[in-house]
Amino acid sequence: VRCQQYPPLRALQASAALRAASDEHKKEPWASSSQQHFESPPAGHQPEEKPQGPQPSYTGQGGQESEDYESEEQLQHRILTAALEFVPEHGWTAEAIAEGAKTLGLSVAAAGLFHSDGSELILHFVSECNTKLSELLKKEQKLVQLGEAEKKPIDEFLRDAVEARLRMLIPYIEKWPQALSVLLLPRNIPSSLNLLTSMIDDIWHYAGDQSTDFNWYTRRAVLTAIYNTTELVMMQDSSPGFEDTWRFLENRVADAMTMSNTATQVQSTGEAVVQGLMGAAVTVSN
Amino acid sequence: PGAGAALRPCSSRVAQDGVNKAVIDRIIRVDHAGEYGANRIYAGQMAVLGRSSVGPVIQQMWNQEKSHLKKFNELMVAYRVRPTVLLPFWNIAGFVLGAGSALLGKKGAMACTVAVEESISEHYNNQIRTLIEEDPEKYKELLQVIKQFRDEEQEHHDIGLEHDAEATPAYSVLKTAIQLGCKAAIFLSERI
Repeated sequence: VRCQQYPPLRALQASAALRAASDEHKKEPWASSSQQHFESPPAGHQPEEKPQGPQPSYTGQGGQESEDYESEEQLQHRILTAALEFVPEHGWTAEAIAEGAKTLGLSVAAAGLFHSDGSELILHFVSECNTKLSELLKKEQKLVQLGEAEKKPIDEFLRDAVEARLRMLIPYIEKWPQALSVLLLPRNIPSSLNLLTSMIDDIWHYAGDQSTDFNWYTRRAVLTAIYNTTELVMMQDSSPGFEDTWRFLENRVADAMTMSNTATQVQSTGEAVVQGLMGAAVTVSN
Repeated sequence: PGAGAALRPCSSRVAQDGVNKAVIDRIIRVDHAGEYGANRIYAGQMAVLGRSSVGPVIQQMWNQEKSHLKKFNELMVAYRVRPTVLLPFWNIAGFVLGAGSALLGKKGAMACTVAVEESISEHYNNQIRTLIEEDPEKYKELLQVIKQFRDEEQEHHDIGLEHDAEATPAYSVLKTAIQLGCKAAIFLSERI
């Protein structure tokens, strides 16, 4: 009895359809949801679709299915990550996304999944940078906890964290002003504000902030101002290694520390004055 | 060209052990605000009635509120919850309410206590219900804390009644007004 090999039923990912078109035939890719199931694809069958060469065994099919299957979100994530490489050349545009899609073996029409102004690409980049920063800070924190590193004083910690985060912009610095303006579009403001505030909150958390009063807001507002102004200075900085920017950052952080020290001093002076007045009042009344 | 499913990127605030961050955030924020306000109310009452016969009673209730606030400060840091932006306002409003009610006399202060503690007990009960509906096992610790605090607030309520709160002139008007204020404070502190 001959064993018949049936074409495997697999979840067809959007990329498969796009991949079909990316070869010689410039077919119009249909936006297929990755949930649709199909028989083996029509004309233009491509060998790269099977990650393991020859037809897998019955049991291997399940494993292959879970390897192949990716959600649309994951796909978009991959395309945007690949697109970042082309941003220095093309800017935050659909061209960069198209080039990125090409390197993944997808059709350039994949750029149609996104807005033409590059919003998603920029937000994706910011999100990735923030994640990298969090991981960096968490690693540092672990070193301190293990006793392998010294705990930094607050001003140095803030300075280093902001500098580390801003340095991630350096490869894209030419095109970053364009990105900033896109981030300020009303449509993008909720997302970009969300990303900014959680990044600042992360930095303060790892700096050891435990305030539960209005200081929580004051500190975050001050750090946000420092970050934003330093970012703007960096856009116009042409000094070697951005040393002017880092010096600006150092001064702003020092200012903030002075302000907070002054505030504490004013408060304790105020309390002392009040006590003095109370004492005087008691003396006079006696 | 049509965009696909809109990406809503935000830095991943990884919830500790799959905790429902949104619900916990609200609960801790509003409870922290509540205990802070209660602290200020008792401070206001002590400022007026500190040297009267009910002084020690109010002081004792105030001390318990202080320990409640301390607990919520810890929880706030542990769960990385944002405090309500209205804290400075509750600072003043609480003190004014406490001092104002105390100026109506000892019974007035007790009436204020009864009204506030009744609101807070009901509010804690709602939260207990919410958490139990979510997942009583996951939130066991938090549930324990809230239950204990609810019992202590209920005690304060009973102490207030024992000290002739109901004999205050215009008791029901005063109570309704204060409880409306508490409801508004709870609504706002949960959100901003």
